[in-house]
Amino acid sequence: MPEQTSALWPLGLYCLAVVAITTVILGISHVLGERHSEKGTAIPYESGMTPTGSAQLRFSADFYLVAMFFVIFDLESIFVFAWAVAARDVGWSGYTELFVFVGILLAALAYLWRSGALTWGTGGQAHAPRPGKEIEP
Amino acid sequence: MRPDDLAALSPLLILAGAAVAVLLAAAVFRSHRLAVALTLAGLAAAFASLSIAWPHAPRPVTTLLAIDHFALFYMGLILAAAFTVVLFSHDYLATTCLPTEGVGQTSGPRREEYYVLMLLAVVGSAVLVASVHFASFFLGLELLSVSLYALVAYRREGRLGIEAGVKYLILGGAASAFLLFGMALVYAALGSLDFSGLARGFARGDGEGLLPLAGIGLMVVGIGFKLSLVPFHGWAPDVYQGAPAPVTAFVATVSKGAVFALLLRFFSMLQPPRHGALATVVALVAVASMFAGNWLALLQTNVKRLLAYSSIAHMGYLLVALLASGPWAPTAVTGYLTAYIVTILGAFGVVSVLSTRSRDADGVEDYRGLAWRRPWLAGVFTAMLLSLAGIPLTVGFIGKFYVLAAGVNSDLWLLVVMLAVNSAIGLFYYLRLIAVLYRPPSEAAAGAVASLSLPLGSAALLTLTLALIILGVYPAPLITAIQACLP
Amino acid sequence: MTLAYLILLFVVSGLLAAVVGRRFATGPRWVALAACIAAAGLALKFLSPSSGTAWLAELDVPWVPALGIRFHLALDGLSLLLLLLTAILGLMAVAASWNAISERPGFYYLNLLLALAGISGVFLAMDLFLFYFFWELMLIPMFFLIALWGHENRQRAAIKFFIFTQLGGLLMLLAILGLYVAHGRSTGEYTFDYPRLLGTVLAPGTALWLLLGFAAAFFVKLPAVPFHTWLPDAHTEAPTGGSVILAGLLLKTGAYGLIRFALPLFPGAAAQVAPAAMVLGTIGILYGAMLAFAQTDLKRLVAYTSVSHLGFVLLGIFAWNTLALQGAVMQMICHGLSTGALFMLVGALDERLHTRDMRRLGGLQAVVPRLAAMATMLALASLGLPGLGNFVGEFLVLLGAFRVNATLTTVATLGFVLATVYALWMIARTFHGPAREARKLADLTGRELAVLLATTAALLYLGLFPQRVLDLAAPGLDRAQHAIAVEVSHAP
Repeated sequence: MPEQTSALWPLGLYCLAVVAITTVILGISHVLGERHSEKGTAIPYESGMTPTGSAQLRFSADFYLVAMFFVIFDLESIFVFAWAVAARDVGWSGYTELFVFVGILLAALAYLWRSGALTWGTGGQAHAPRPGKEIEP
Repeated sequence: MRPDDLAALSPLLILAGAAVAVLLAAAVFRSHRLAVALTLAGLAAAFASLSIAWPHAPRPVTTLLAIDHFALFYMGLILAAAFTVVLFSHDYLATTCLPTEGVGQTSGPRREEYYVLMLLAVVGSAVLVASVHFASFFLGLELLSVSLYALVAYRREGRLGIEAGVKYLILGGAASAFLLFGMALVYAALGSLDFSGLARGFARGDGEGLLPLAGIGLMVVGIGFKLSLVPFHGWAPDVYQGAPAPVTAFVATVSKGAVFALLLRFFSMLQPPRHGALATVVALVAVASMFAGNWLALLQTNVKRLLAYSSIAHMGYLLVALLASGPWAPTAVTGYLTAYIVTILGAFGVVSVLSTRSRDADGVEDYRGLAWRRPWLAGVFTAMLLSLAGIPLTVGFIGKFYVLAAGVNSDLWLLVVMLAVNSAIGLFYYLRLIAVLYRPPSEAAAGAVASLSLPLGSAALLTLTLALIILGVYPAPLITAIQACLP
Repeated sequence: MTLAYLILLFVVSGLLAAVVGRRFATGPRWVALAACIAAAGLALKFLSPSSGTAWLAELDVPWVPALGIRFHLALDGLSLLLLLLTAILGLMAVAASWNAISERPGFYYLNLLLALAGISGVFLAMDLFLFYFFWELMLIPMFFLIALWGHENRQRAAIKFFIFTQLGGLLMLLAILGLYVAHGRSTGEYTFDYPRLLGTVLAPGTALWLLLGFAAAFFVKLPAVPFHTWLPDAHTEAPTGGSVILAGLLLKTGAYGLIRFALPLFPGAAAQVAPAAMVLGTIGILYGAMLAFAQTDLKRLVAYTSVSHLGFVLLGIFAWNTLALQGAVMQMICHGLSTGALFMLVGALDERLHTRDMRRLGGLQAVVPRLAAMATMLALASLGLPGLGNFVGEFLVLLGAFRVNATLTTVATLGFVLATVYALWMIARTFHGPAREARKLADLTGRELAVLLATTAALLYLGLFPQRVLDLAAPGLDRAQHAIAVEVSHAP
């Protein structure tokens, strides 16, 4: 236990130093900093134009969807990469496994495509709206 | 991967394949019937493939999974339960969730994905019961949980469904984090992730000390959450109430059963000391679960919430059997779980069959006078409630009897007396509900008999009731089967 | 096999009644009547001169071999007597329900017959698991009988009844399991079979706890005094047929369990608790009688007399000598008959008047002379008039108990006085004196009269020629006593 402790003390000191420095910096600016509260203080871009409308816009859910697909499919490439590194060692059985893996990915992609998730602006509905048909309330 | 390994794994492979097949079928055809048929076929094929895997058992497949008779028995149980749940689900979704022919109707969920998620949850459960390693344990648990997060919130039109889903997601995530951290601490102390290595470590005495104790404690939190044990039970009533009835049945049976099977394996491999810290904690949790579950169930007026609290109490009973740790304990746990699964499936099956398009039939008022409106259904529900109460002629009695026998055999007198007292408390709310069934129906309900024909659900209910009574009267085959499957 | 058929007879005819009831409202009662008569016939077949030691009939097949559970039914004189009582009271219950049950008769008779099946099973089971099985099984139909066809507060009474008996039953189950494990550990043979469990060697402390577990179930059912609170509610709220079964048969299962199981299995511990149990019995006799006197509801009054009469049974059982035991058995049978008949009478009155409040009754002697005569007769039986069966039972109990504990027995004798007070008080308030309201009522019908007259004749027969019954019960009682004698002589 003592030798572990002795090995760890630089780390502890470092942590303490980090905390101390940030505290000092924030503390000094708090003490010395200028504070004022005029009419326009709370407005963004104090020196520019007065903003109009709310900053909290509603984004289409499609943005999230696309981001999610990207993350998911991008992550899967890690596994392919891992296989590529060891391709010779794992041999044919590894190849089969990767094949199955990619096959499942493709199935998922096919599902996403068919259910309209890749089409922008349909709200993720299964079949794209046929023109001329009224949208039900 | 040798051919033998593949044969041993065949149930898991078939299940996974079925999930992909249903996904593709949903993508191409969008047919509820086709999805149901494929799911049922997949489950049945996986069940049949148990016989392919049987001669290869016991066999370790990689270091992660052990396909032994124990695992195969539980897989069979899980598959049968899932099969029943899917039968209920078909009727339920056909009634409550009409197809989204209307274009642009964003609120109506589709029905086919439900089955994909359910199959994935079944794969997760099957991995759990076969896992002998922390990695496969966590993998199976997450596969199960993530599928359930989506399933719980499947009916998005109501506030309760969303609330239940979010609650289950956040609390479940927290529980997983606890579990993972606990695993890490145990690994740090014992240097092993697989159960047999851990067992050796504990036998050497490496399990003493603060680090592994903290690790085990954190794991208890994680597992306690999944089993809805007091004090980690807060989610159960809300999720039971908010989730669609068949999903609730799934959460209550397959999910809890699989986790408990894993717990049983973990316990019987580790053999924790009788009076050690872990046994004490589990005993306290068991007592708290029994009392809290039963007392809170007394106050409920919602059938799903009532069953949720009663399930908390039942998990407490199961812990008593787990603690018994004698030669009878595994049989007792398995027997009780089997009985519990049959019964709870039947109870939620009735709820599911009675549910209408607008809401699940979960108010006590929905059941008033059921015996005179739909006598068969009321008879089934009565049988299920009596089985939950552990009255003879039902399989629930056999389960409770076995648990008590295991407890007595290990001289856990305090716990078994508590169990007996709690059974009597529990009786009160089961009987009250039964009495409601036989009360004269109210005028409003008498008129509103929208008796749709629900063939699959009714067949499933009939089968469950028959199983309940036959196993309750002649349990010898079940006991023989269980004993043959346990080490 | 006949024994299994007997139980099966009730079950099958119950199902048949339910099926018939869907088409014909009057069908089920005929089915039930036929079933009870057939059961009585089957039981009478065994009423031949007995060999004395062996069982009169036995059925023993494995049921759950993995746990050492057997389907073991056996019949001796004691069981036979109670079985006959079951069939007769079944008839009485059917007669009492004949016109009273108009709502869903099929389901009603299904429950009635299933209750009878469970009770017969209790009297026949020789495997402790099987015994517990039937013990619980008779509760469910009873619960439905009370909860569905009872009076105003029926659901509360039914749930109370069920929980009381169930809690007692669960404690008994624990005791059964304790005995099972103890026997398994000491002999290596895990079995629930009663003859094999007899003479299990137990540590005194263990034996006492196990006995208390059994006693919990039997004292609740009997009922012994602090555990009796379910009884007045259940008896009062039950429909007449249900009350007949409850008072006539269900209470007897508790006494039977004590005689058959609790005492022979744990003789040492039983000797230890016997004084306390006899005190409870005496308290029951006096307390039940006094409470009966205080009632204004006729049905409640009769219910409390049961507490008093079963106190005699408890006293007799724990005195544990031949005289007292025979008295207890006699008392069980006669109480079953007389109280069943009294409940039937009260039911008949209630059917006609729609009240059981004695403050609103009076002077009915002139209106319904036959009913009044029968009631007087049965009240006399209930108070223990010499010449009727109840007297023989109570007298033998006191005689036997006197040898064991003279003081207690003297106190218990006061029960006779109190019984006279409440019984005559009941008759006086109901049938004599000025009529409170002018009434024109139908007297007893031929059906009711026939049943009541037959009961009275039986009581008279039992009172005048008790030896036949005592002989029949003797071998079983001897065996139970013998088991204890062996055990005590082996004890250090």
